[in-house]
Parts: sequence; C-alpha cells; structure tokens
Amino acid sequence: MGPCDLEKILSRVTSHTSERVLSSLQSGEDAGVFALDDKNTLVQSVDFFPPIVDDPYTFGQIAAANALSDIYAMNGTPLTAMNILGAPCTLDLEIISLILRGGEEKIREARADIIGGHTIEDDELKYGLCITGTLDRKNMWQVKGALPEDILILTKPVGTGILSTALKAQFISEDGMEDAIVSMRSLNSYAAEILSSHRVHACTDVTGFGLIGHLKNICVASNVSAAIRAKEVPLFGKTHEMASLGMIPAGQKRNKEYVLEIVKIEDRVDELLAECLFDPQTSGGLLASVHPDDAKNVLDELKRGPCPHAALIGSIEESEETKISIDVR
Amino acid sequence: MMEMKEIDARNLQCPQPVILTKQTLAEEKKAFAILVDNEAAKDNVKRFAESRGCKVRLSEEEGYFRIEIIPEHAKTTLEHPECSIPEPQAEKQNNKVIFITSDEIGKGERKLGTRLASAFIYACAQNEEIPHKIIFMNTGVRLVTQNEEIAENLKRLEERGCEMLVCGTCLDFYGLKDSLLVGRVSNMYEIQSTLIAADTVVSL
Repeated sequence: MGPCDLEKILSRVTSHTSERVLSSLQSGEDAGVFALDDKNTLVQSVDFFPPIVDDPYTFGQIAAANALSDIYAMNGTPLTAMNILGAPCTLDLEIISLILRGGEEKIREARADIIGGHTIEDDELKYGLCITGTLDRKNMWQVKGALPEDILILTKPVGTGILSTALKAQFISEDGMEDAIVSMRSLNSYAAEILSSHRVHACTDVTGFGLIGHLKNICVASNVSAAIRAKEVPLFGKTHEMASLGMIPAGQKRNKEYVLEIVKIEDRVDELLAECLFDPQTSGGLLASVHPDDAKNVLDELKRGPCPHAALIGSIEESEETKISIDVR
Repeated sequence: MMEMKEIDARNLQCPQPVILTKQTLAEEKKAFAILVDNEAAKDNVKRFAESRGCKVRLSEEEGYFRIEIIPEHAKTTLEHPECSIPEPQAEKQNNKVIFITSDEIGKGERKLGTRLASAFIYACAQNEEIPHKIIFMNTGVRLVTQNEEIAENLKRLEERGCEMLVCGTCLDFYGLKDSLLVGRVSNMYEIQSTLIAADTVVSL
C-alpha cells in the first residue's frame, strides 16, 4: 500500500497503547517495540509480498532477509520467526517447499528459529515472515534522533523495484539483475553490526516507500532537513537503463506524492536518476544518520566488509521546517 | 487520413501498458494510439516509445490519457510538418558542426527541453557517425559544466575525435568558467570561422 494511503488509514486508527509500548504506529518506526520489564525489550515486525523473482528458493531468501531487516534497522537481535504463506491450491507443492526452505536458510543465518506459521489459500502466491527479537533499549535506533551535520550512509544500492518490474515485463532476465538479487537476499545484520560500534543517531531500512520516503520519516521524526547528493546514491547495474525504457513501477508515483511537499530536486539532476530515488525497494539497505566524525570509518568498514557499494549519500541539516533537497553532489 | 489503431491499456498496471506498446510496435508499421488511465503508465509508455526512437503525442482525455505513438520509419509518411524530418544525406561528410545555443531543445516546458537536450547528446554519442565539432554558446554552456551524465557522453564523443568549442564569454557571463567538465574554451572568432567553414551546421 502506498505511503499516503497508509498514513490516512493509520491516522484514523486510535493507537491507545500502554506505557510499555515504546514505538507508535504513526512515527514510521520499522518495528514495534515493547518493554517486557526494566531490562528486557521485545521488538517485532511482519512483512509479506508476492514473488519478485522467478526462482522460488531465492524468493524465500529475499522475503526472509526483508522481514529480518526491520529488526536490524532498530539494532535488534532476531530470535524467532513465523512463516506466513498464501498460495493457490493448484500450485506445485515442491515450489512451496522451496520457498520455505529459502526462508529457513536465511533465518538460520540470522541465528534465529522458525517456530511456526500459517498458510491460507490465495489466488496469488504470497510469502513473508513475522519476526520477534530483543533489543537493548539504550542502544536502540529509531527514525528520530538525527542531528544536524550527521552524515547519511546507505548500505545497499537502490533499483529493485525497477528491476523486478523489468523482469516481469521480460525486459531482463534474472541474470541481468544478479547484483540486485544478491543484494536483496543478503542480511542487513552485518551492516548493523558495524554501525553499532559507532555513533548512529537514527536509522531505518529502505523498503517500500523508497529511499526518499524513508528519509522523510527520519527527517520528520527528528525535526531536521536533509541534503541528498544524487550522484552518490548507488544504483544496481541496469536500473537507469530500465527506467529509461519505462520500467518504473506504479508504487514509485505514490512514493513521490508522499514526499512531494518537502522535496526539491535541482534541475541539473539527471531526471531518471531522480526517479530512481523514489523506487520502492524490497530488502533494501540500512539508511543511517551517523555522527560526522564516524562516517568515514563506518564507510570504510562497510565497503571492506559486507557492503561493497555502501555510500555517503548526503547530510542532515538544521531547519525550522523539514525539507529534503536533492542536488547532483 | 486513415483511422489510427487504438490499444486500450486502461485498468492495466505497470509494466503491462509498456509490454502492449512493445508488442504493438513490433507488429505495426504505422502510428497507433495507446490509452492508459494512470500517470505512471503514461510516463512509462512515453519513455519506452521515445527510447525506441518514436515520436510521442500526448493528450489528456476525460479520465484517461491518449498517447499517440509514431514509429520512427512512419514519421516521414505523416502529414504533420513537425514529423517531416529531413533524410540524412547520403554522402559522407566529415565537416558537420552542431551549434548548441541553449541547454534545452525547443520552446516549451523547461523540464522537457533539458531532458531532450540530454537525450540528444546521448544519441550523438551512440551514433556511429559523429559530428566534426560541437559549439556551445549562451545557456548551451550549461551542458558542458553542470551535468555529469551529459559531460560523460560528450567525453566519449571527444575521445572519438569530435572537438568541443565552448564560448568563453558565455562561461564568464554565467560564472561557469571554473566548472568546465569537457571541451575547451573558445572565442567568437574561432566559432565564427568554424561555422562559416562547415559543410553542414545543425543548430539547436
């Protein structure tokens, strides 16, 4: 569902919560946070979607990496997972088991356990997971907390929405988007681990609302502005080319509407590159707002380690009203 | 004029309208229209058709968009004056000059104009036959100073032997002297004599 519609719906849902709930529906937090007692904190999230690649095992891996990502974006540690699956009754059982095995592999990589799940009959195949974990409240990352002069770090390239649209249209094959597939199925845990030894003031993961949509959540919650250097934002190999062939998914427009009022794109920014910044992502990277003195080190460690394409894509600025400016550099 | 074939792609989500456009382009030699009911599909169909060298005409109807697509080879057969693009001359000429005096092509929405200029440079870089020289004047100098993408394509042309002359007075005037990404600073004398000596000048 697009961010505008979701915002409208959530604004009508009165969120009467106890004091133990440390996150709210409206703040755009990645996962729900619940204080069990003075020490222990529960963090939970759920995500599911239709296949975005043809290979069932890979789809399972991506769905799990994507579901786990919300936990990592808050600096949590996943403990348990529940499968959610909707499938047409005509679907080959072998395909379903491949999807579940792909998911299981990633949950094991995350050192968590699958402890159950639920399946329903559905016209269209869907798979995802509900993840439960814990976090250390003192070191929790939220969308609020970004400070002026912070540097914005993005750990994965963007373009999965455009590329999976192109795959659907058979403009490219899975081979043609191999870099995106590798990225989507890789866990954000490794990036989170590196970030956690530095001063991270705010963090989120880039998913359905696109890079700028999730950046807006950080900016609004933190009451700051941001400046993005579009040329620094890494894209998957064929993203720009596929965008130029009309492979921009419908959700991208909704993402753009969501941020329209606060975004200013300079004329000299390549138009298609700008469009890519709103592309809805699946299992995208972490977007962290990091203390300026730590940014270079974080980037070096990320690039040497799990995230070769990580980049410093902009900075946080002080301002009375929240704005996001997008310039070439 | 003959009735134009119409493809109804309303109620279809991306990428379906583009797929239909692609299929139709493969079958149809003549111009056709495709109907879509959302902005995303409109932009995507337009982008796709333009990437295939088609001319695109857009009109907003009640509740939907009508996109006329004129395949490249059909252009000259249409009666509209804007479609009658002169055929490239048969003989090889090695002294063609492109004279760019603006950072946008045509008069209209600036956003479109600058995009067209960028696409033009890209197409030039892709083309087997390259111009002998390209001259940048007035706001045309923005193309060699402010946009990395365009500069990259121009560099590719430069590597293949195309010379870029950039008006120094214009760079000064717009305060862009230190931002030159590609080409060399030139003056009115050189530019004037280059234009006079050229076999063909394409002005933009």
